[in-house]
Amino acid sequence: MSPKEEIYTRHAAKGGDRGKVLAEIMNAEGKPEVLDDVLVLDVSSANFAGIICASYLAEFGAEVIKIEPSKGDPARQITPFGVTVQGVGIPFMFEGRNKRYMTLDIKNSAEDRKLFAKLAQKAAVVIESFAPGEMDAWGIGYRQLSAANPGLVYIALSAYGQYTDKAKESAKMPDTDVTSQAGSGLPAQMGGTPDEPEPNNWPLRGGMWAGWYISGLSAALGGTVALIHRQNTGQGQMVDVAGMDAYSSMVGMPATIGFTWEKARPRIGVLDFILYPYGHWKCKDGFVAIAAPRDHDFRALLKVLGLWEQEDDWRYSSDRIPDILEQALHLHKIIEEKTILHTADELVAMALNYSKKSARSKWRGGGVPIVMKLMTPEEAMGNKQWQIRKAFQEVEDEKLGKYTISANFVKMSESPPRVKWVSSEIGKDNEYIRKKYLSD
Amino acid sequence: MEDYFSYTAKLFNPDEANQKPEALKGIRVLDFSHVIFGPIAARLLADYGAEVIKLELPFYGDLWRPATYWGKYWKHSNPIWHNITKNKYFLSVNLQLKESKELIYKMAEKADVVIENFAPGTADAWKIGYDKISKINPKIIFLSCSTYGQFGPMRYFPGWDLLAQGASGVLTLNGYPDTDIYYKLPDYVGDFVPGNFGALSVLMALYHRKKTGKGQYIDMAQTEGLMRMLFNYTYHSVTKQAIGRTGNADPSMVPASIFKTADDKFLALACATAEQFKNFTSAMNMAQLADDKRFAETLERLKPENAQELTKIATDWVQTKSCADIVKLADERNFPAAEVADDYMIANEEWRRKRGSVILFKDEVYGDLVIAGPSAQLSGTPSRTKWLARPLGYHNRLVLKKFLELCEADIEKLEKKKVIGTFDDRPGLKPPVYYNLSEDPIYNYGKEVKK
Repeated sequence: MSPKEEIYTRHAAKGGDRGKVLAEIMNAEGKPEVLDDVLVLDVSSANFAGIICASYLAEFGAEVIKIEPSKGDPARQITPFGVTVQGVGIPFMFEGRNKRYMTLDIKNSAEDRKLFAKLAQKAAVVIESFAPGEMDAWGIGYRQLSAANPGLVYIALSAYGQYTDKAKESAKMPDTDVTSQAGSGLPAQMGGTPDEPEPNNWPLRGGMWAGWYISGLSAALGGTVALIHRQNTGQGQMVDVAGMDAYSSMVGMPATIGFTWEKARPRIGVLDFILYPYGHWKCKDGFVAIAAPRDHDFRALLKVLGLWEQEDDWRYSSDRIPDILEQALHLHKIIEEKTILHTADELVAMALNYSKKSARSKWRGGGVPIVMKLMTPEEAMGNKQWQIRKAFQEVEDEKLGKYTISANFVKMSESPPRVKWVSSEIGKDNEYIRKKYLSD
Repeated sequence: MEDYFSYTAKLFNPDEANQKPEALKGIRVLDFSHVIFGPIAARLLADYGAEVIKLELPFYGDLWRPATYWGKYWKHSNPIWHNITKNKYFLSVNLQLKESKELIYKMAEKADVVIENFAPGTADAWKIGYDKISKINPKIIFLSCSTYGQFGPMRYFPGWDLLAQGASGVLTLNGYPDTDIYYKLPDYVGDFVPGNFGALSVLMALYHRKKTGKGQYIDMAQTEGLMRMLFNYTYHSVTKQAIGRTGNADPSMVPASIFKTADDKFLALACATAEQFKNFTSAMNMAQLADDKRFAETLERLKPENAQELTKIATDWVQTKSCADIVKLADERNFPAAEVADDYMIANEEWRRKRGSVILFKDEVYGDLVIAGPSAQLSGTPSRTKWLARPLGYHNRLVLKKFLELCEADIEKLEKKKVIGTFDDRPGLKPPVYYNLSEDPIYNYGKEVKK
């Protein structure tokens, strides 16, 4: 049976069209693309938030032209440990989705600026990350471009934004991931408890590009809202994304907690501020993540782990909020003494069996203690769930060869995003673009 | 020509934001979702002008209503819940009753979007899934949010942000090498980020529907949203190695880490390009480093042995300066640096208030609360806050009268049959004790109220 047939059969059994819908949603090929009427110019420089935003639009079908000087965007060399394939860094390869590449030196060449302005007349979206005011000073900022093309959506990325005195004062400070994370409040919430030795008790950077990816996603979201307004009214606008807002504006908690509590939260290590148990524990062969925060989930977890005698301890049956750290850490240890006795697979099976039983019980409400094996990104790539869902895609670049990316981040029945090709070569599409957009 | 910043100050003027048009005006969303992942997708649509009707069970409500940090309530509400569910209409109906389903079906006729995040298959089992709703309204855009997706062997596994972080590999990337401690990303960012992806896909579906007239079904798996943010997979497929944990140092730039300053503050500092590095070396009065062949070229600088050397130089230098001095130097010499901002700083820094990325909001029911502004500022159709979260069932009358054209007698009948209901005495569900609901014209929509 093909995977598609299998999904159909599995989900059609309960009647209705769900089997058909899910079998059809697996594939993107042949379906229409949402943004096939949208031209995007990405002139961002040394800023992955811009590149990421452009990728999302490209995956939804926009024609995206990455514009860079003939030496290439410095972002090509922003790569872990300096690893490249023929000079192209890993993150740039990862984001090189469905894009066209054109060389223009808008920073130094007046002639190239003219060509850029001409292209921008036909564009729906411009993405840039120069110092606020710099494009404007070159005569190709939002103010000038929108005069010729009122429908233009102009997305600008920077550290402190395009307006306010602070933005002016810090206009020339570039935006990077770690400064965006720090300035917007992520590291302050992550790391060891205050009594741990240095540097374990320091604020800790998120080990992925939380700043740049959040800014890129926010820019794409804001840009798409602007595209909807443009579709309805023909009017464009400016979208201003500041790296120093990224995390705090996305999750909202730092601002409200800083106001209502009138102080900052301390770092509480591996614990959570709201839920317990909600974290990961050592087991025989690695780590498991456990979430059993609701009372009935927690009681179920105690049963599963053979810890039922803890149930009538008031500290844990009625108050597991980790505001008394020692208490929460004590419970952490009690749980670990049990998890360490089993392998991850055993613990997952124990919890699953319990959950199945409680779901079938006529009393329901027996609790759903969730236990999962903690995976590294490399382990996740081998998981059958993601193979069936095509979450990873092997792609081939003409010059750089084959490599794997995560793709198809959302499944849509009518107009899904997709990766059609990857490429990274500087100036690869100069001719194509000149002919298509600059010949008149 | 007018100064750029005086031009943009007018273009983005936060005082005028509420008078500007709304991009999603007229879009109606039925929000069946709970906790954070689904609700945040719905809220983002509400921020841009959509009418979002949030459905909850009477006297029970969303699981997240009482879930506040360290059990600290604010005016009998959960302070962080206000950010997650502002701008919505709160309708409380008992899904177990036939009459409730009929209300939902009637609303679905005129809705544009439905959002749910029950365990996969549940919405269909309750006859409020895509199967049923798309027959009532074929143009509906239906977003199903889950941790592992609607199909595949793991589909029935329940999940939280933690599990998505654990399954995608995100969780194992945070911490110091050669230790056995991992840290999860804080504040449920594993819900917020996929929630934004969910909203993005709904916006795309709206754009598509305008062109083609077609609605669609959307399957957003939270783990896949997080996976889209990791180039670690590509790194592994190219090198057969793992990036793993690198503590505070970002291995893609050098220097790029969090340092401790002379005045015991924490500071992030990074040099992404050769130019930024040159600016940084001149700020340190060590311009010769920019010519050193180990450091001059970006890719040379990134090699682990050179990176280590340079990080040590940066660490030593940062220790001799105050945080404010370095940030000032960074502004003048153009390299990236920022103090590690905590909750208190973010709530109080003046520039954030002026920019509108942190807002002191004046609410009719709750009074003044500081909340986060949008992560993208739009000059033409800005995101805005109209009201904070409301007690359970607060908008029952308004929704049923305004959107379903029921009359007071119909509503009293529904109340009597317990089809609709409100809150009980738990914090997070009920209004502040000082607040007199009987005088509230919205709670009593369409009835006479004495002020």
